[in-house]
Amino acid sequence: MFRFIHSSDLHLGKPFGRYPEDVRVRLRQARMASLEVLAERARASGAGHVLLAGDTFDQMTPAPKVIRDALNATGAASDITWLVLPGNHDHANATELWRTFTKDAPPNVTALLTPEPVALSEDVTLLPAPPTERHPGRDLTEWFNDAATGEALRIGLAHGSIRGFSSEDGGASVLSADRAREAGLAYLGLGDWHGQLKISETTWYSGAPEADSFKHDAAATALLVELDGQGVRVTPQPTAALNWRALEIDLTGEETEISLPQDARSDTLMSLTVTGHAGPTLRRKVEADIAQASPDFLWAEATLDALRLIHDTSDLDQIDRHGALRAAADVLAAEAEDTSRTPEERTTARTALSYLFSYVGED
Amino acid sequence: MRLRALHLGNVRKFAGKKASVTGIGDGITVVSEANEFGKSTFFDALHALFFEKYSSAAKTVKSLQPYAKGAVEVAAEIETDEGRFRVEKTFLQRKSARVLRMSDGAVIAQDDGAERWISTALGSDKNGPAGLLWVRQGAIGLDPDTRDETVKQLETRRDLLSSVSGEIDAMTGGRRMDRVMKRVAEELKTLVTATGKPTGEWRALNGEIAQMEAELSELDAQIDKLSTALDARKQAENLLAQLDQPDARAARAAGLAQAEGALEEAKAHAGRVAAAEQAHKLAQIEAQTARGRLDEFLAALERLASAHSAMEASRGALEEVASQTAQKEAAFEVAKAAADGSTAAVTEARGVLDAARKQAAAQAAKARAKGLEKQLQQVDEVEKKRDAARARIAASAATPKWLAAVEEAQNAVAAQTAAVNAQAATLAVTYSGAARVTQGSEVLSDGVPVMLSGSTDFELPGIGSLRVDVPDGGREAADALSARKARLAEVLAKAEAQTLAEARDLAAARAQWVQKLQTAEAVLQTLAPQGTAPLRAEKAAADLAGAGADDAPLPAQDALEAALTKAQAEDAEAQAVLARASASHAAAREAAIHSQAAAQAAQTALEAAQAKAGHTETRDATKADLIRTDAQAQENASAKAEALENMRAQAPDLGTAQAECTRAQNAVTAAEGQLQKLQLRIAALSAEIHAQSEAGIEETRDTLSGRLDAARAKEARLANKAAALLRLRAALEAERSAARDTYFGPVQRELAPLLSILYDEAGLQFDTDSLLPSGLTRAQTEERLDDLSGGTQEQIAILTRLAFARLFQGQGRHMPIVLDDALVYSDDARIVKMFTALTRVAQEQQILVFTCRTMAFLELGGTRPEVDIHDL
Repeated sequence: MFRFIHSSDLHLGKPFGRYPEDVRVRLRQARMASLEVLAERARASGAGHVLLAGDTFDQMTPAPKVIRDALNATGAASDITWLVLPGNHDHANATELWRTFTKDAPPNVTALLTPEPVALSEDVTLLPAPPTERHPGRDLTEWFNDAATGEALRIGLAHGSIRGFSSEDGGASVLSADRAREAGLAYLGLGDWHGQLKISETTWYSGAPEADSFKHDAAATALLVELDGQGVRVTPQPTAALNWRALEIDLTGEETEISLPQDARSDTLMSLTVTGHAGPTLRRKVEADIAQASPDFLWAEATLDALRLIHDTSDLDQIDRHGALRAAADVLAAEAEDTSRTPEERTTARTALSYLFSYVGED
Repeated sequence: MRLRALHLGNVRKFAGKKASVTGIGDGITVVSEANEFGKSTFFDALHALFFEKYSSAAKTVKSLQPYAKGAVEVAAEIETDEGRFRVEKTFLQRKSARVLRMSDGAVIAQDDGAERWISTALGSDKNGPAGLLWVRQGAIGLDPDTRDETVKQLETRRDLLSSVSGEIDAMTGGRRMDRVMKRVAEELKTLVTATGKPTGEWRALNGEIAQMEAELSELDAQIDKLSTALDARKQAENLLAQLDQPDARAARAAGLAQAEGALEEAKAHAGRVAAAEQAHKLAQIEAQTARGRLDEFLAALERLASAHSAMEASRGALEEVASQTAQKEAAFEVAKAAADGSTAAVTEARGVLDAARKQAAAQAAKARAKGLEKQLQQVDEVEKKRDAARARIAASAATPKWLAAVEEAQNAVAAQTAAVNAQAATLAVTYSGAARVTQGSEVLSDGVPVMLSGSTDFELPGIGSLRVDVPDGGREAADALSARKARLAEVLAKAEAQTLAEARDLAAARAQWVQKLQTAEAVLQTLAPQGTAPLRAEKAAADLAGAGADDAPLPAQDALEAALTKAQAEDAEAQAVLARASASHAAAREAAIHSQAAAQAAQTALEAAQAKAGHTETRDATKADLIRTDAQAQENASAKAEALENMRAQAPDLGTAQAECTRAQNAVTAAEGQLQKLQLRIAALSAEIHAQSEAGIEETRDTLSGRLDAARAKEARLANKAAALLRLRAALEAERSAARDTYFGPVQRELAPLLSILYDEAGLQFDTDSLLPSGLTRAQTEERLDDLSGGTQEQIAILTRLAFARLFQGQGRHMPIVLDDALVYSDDARIVKMFTALTRVAQEQQILVFTCRTMAFLELGGTRPEVDIHDL
């Protein structure tokens, strides 16, 4: 039985520039800490190798400290053998990165910079397909088919999108989805897709050990892969320290309030989208509830643009029953529903009416 | 809409009871009850019935509920153009609303439908402040939330204008509108300037975005530079690796050795080719020498034969030429003699003509000299006249100016004489006898007045002497006269004249001389404009030219000139014949010379050819020997040439070998140089890359990019917020302005006749912002409303409300007016006038009055409804 941990897309050094400084620090620390988590998962499952399938680093020339921290973290797990495949963000021609990496790498860390077989044990051989540029535009795993590895079990490791499947960053899809079968691989570990994804019994995207966006719903994991010559067993291993929660709450029924996550808010980033429609009272309550809860989260944003403001006579009566104030509300309400106007004008009118509700409600 | 009855059930103090007001009339209806009866309860319940939803739990509704709780029931019977209806609502418990048609008791609307029916009845579907007139005096349209507000409202109730304020607020949004506008302004102030430009956080954010964009651009450029450096280093390293491979080095060395060997072999072969070329050249020289000698001998034989022929021909030609030369020379001599004769004839004709011309010129000069002499004599005579005139003029001082001075002095004397005569005393003696009076030595003439001045003594023979003293005034005039006479004398003396007439004669004489001078000068200008010197010089020249002239008649020059022309033509023809003869003679002599030279040359050539050909006896042997030698030399040269061509054909290209060797050497040298350059280049690029990667510029760029995205998103939110707030402000301002425009002017027009009931020629001023009355003008005196008495303020407030009612009535919207405890501050006289105003309005308007002042309101008249209270 040969066991290893398959992970990818750590994107160490990713700056997360759109977030506040304290959040950025947490996010960067969590990504770097995921190396230690992977080592723990390997030890816990009896795996001696961690295979990183690309994009370990976020840039071609990351800051030296990022490289140093990564090498220190992997070097500290000296009982684990780390095999690091370049990705499209840190492709093999990122010479300065890999020159520094290989020069300072501890003995248990190897960068897979060339498409050559690497013996993981006496009877297991790794076939790496390192990207040589950000968008190679060709299937770098083709050489797997003809690689001479004797009787050893063959493990493929590649980074990129398979044909018919979009790349994480929009690049062309070039890897053959049937490569494992064509090349006689016991397992093909892929990187690039940040969420865990099973392509076939023997072909998997591990996903990133820490999410970096709200794109993927499931919690971040790594994969424990077990090979015994008869088959493969893949078991997801939880790795995420931080939660990225993309919530969409649709107020189309009789809801009178919204429900927000309660657990581990300080470790959770929340992107909330409220849709549907609400009267001014409910909208004000929703806004108040969000404002009340947001500070509890590591980071939170809420978009109410898609929440249509609805109102009836009684709602408008809250503004005024008669007179100029009510007339202004009527004008804005009509403008918000006037399909002859541009969407921007309607949105502006709707927002203006919302402000009017809000200011009147302050009385 | 008109009210006919009110019904309350379980409302406030009517807990567990039912209270009704029925019999409300068309005009004025007065509900007059004592304090604490519950008039305000009726009013508040009525207000809730029409302006609060049956499902409402607002404070205004809850305030109707008694302490015992329970459902609150309010109902009103109303009459509209469609008939009579009962509107009823149950609040807080068993919430419901209904509208019943009283004619048949049918429920025509229920709950929300009933609310819509009420809204329509109130005119809410029209663009106006429905229910405006229902506002209780003192109420401001907003319910008190705090104790402070309650206190404030109570104070406002005492301000009777608050009723008007409430009505206007209902139209314009009132204080609620103000608060909203203030909030909008506060929010906008943090976002945009008065001109709509971003400010505060928004402006700062725009600045940050611009700065981040600039930084991002700079970072992108640095990253491009880094990427370029990485690519360049990669290429350099690849090239370095290729150049530095041992196989590559060995290949370059082997190539060089091979090229050098080939070059040596090529050089050796080139030496052999050079030797063959040398032998070939020698053979060529020998062959050329042999051929030259043979050709030279054969040529000498040919030249010898030719020389013989030429010699014979030249001799014949020489004789022919000599004969022709003699003929040409004879012809030349004849022509020369003819030309000499014609030339002499020309010379003679020209001499005769010249002599005739000189004689004609001498005669003309002589005649000219005579004319000039006469002209000079005339000049001399005129010059004498001119000089005489000049002398006369110079001698005379009687110029026109002088004469003018004399006349002026004479006039002065005359004037002064007249003055003296006018002032002087005179003495005239008339003799009767022989005795004569004398003055000094002079005898006074009979009857001739004597001027007297100063002290004058007269001798009276036989009598004695007489002294006459004249005052000094006459003396001054006399002195002045003397002075002027002296002046006259002085002026006359300048031209030696004695009198004015003499002076005029002298001046006339001088003028005549001036005229003569001018005439002489004019004549001289004609005769000798340049003076006499040019005339005299011209005469001298004419004298000289005419010195040899005689008086003999002159020959005809035309005939002489014709003879000369004819001689010249004949001479020209003779000269042409001579020239042709001369040329022909010269050509003949030249041909003779050439024939002699040709004969001499033929002789020389013959002698040379004979020398080259040798003796006649050895000529054949020599020719045969030379032919044999030439054949042998030609054969040898051909053999050497063939050998050379063969060797050249076999030779490798030395230039190519040299070039290949040079190339191989250059390749080795260039590779070494390139290696060094690449190493240096790689080192430099590595340093640059290292420096850039140390800075982590990609991460910095990504960080900045993220911040920029966030900032742009925030900027968009602020922009949207600003747009929404601006739109809201515009909508509020537009509607408030529209409300003011709709009601302000019409209300003022309705108010005028009502105001005149109370105050003669009075007018109200309104504040343009609050639309509230701000001042009252009476007897041309304007008073601030705050300074008016409470009664006056109260009256103005009610009149304003009545004006609103009239306005709505005019628009076809009849709304009952409800007055609660009105006119509490008005005196009796004013109350009567107010009743008049109310009565006038009540002709078309229903007015419901709640009051506790039973007696005071008796004069108002109107309907007195029944009030019934009983247990539920």
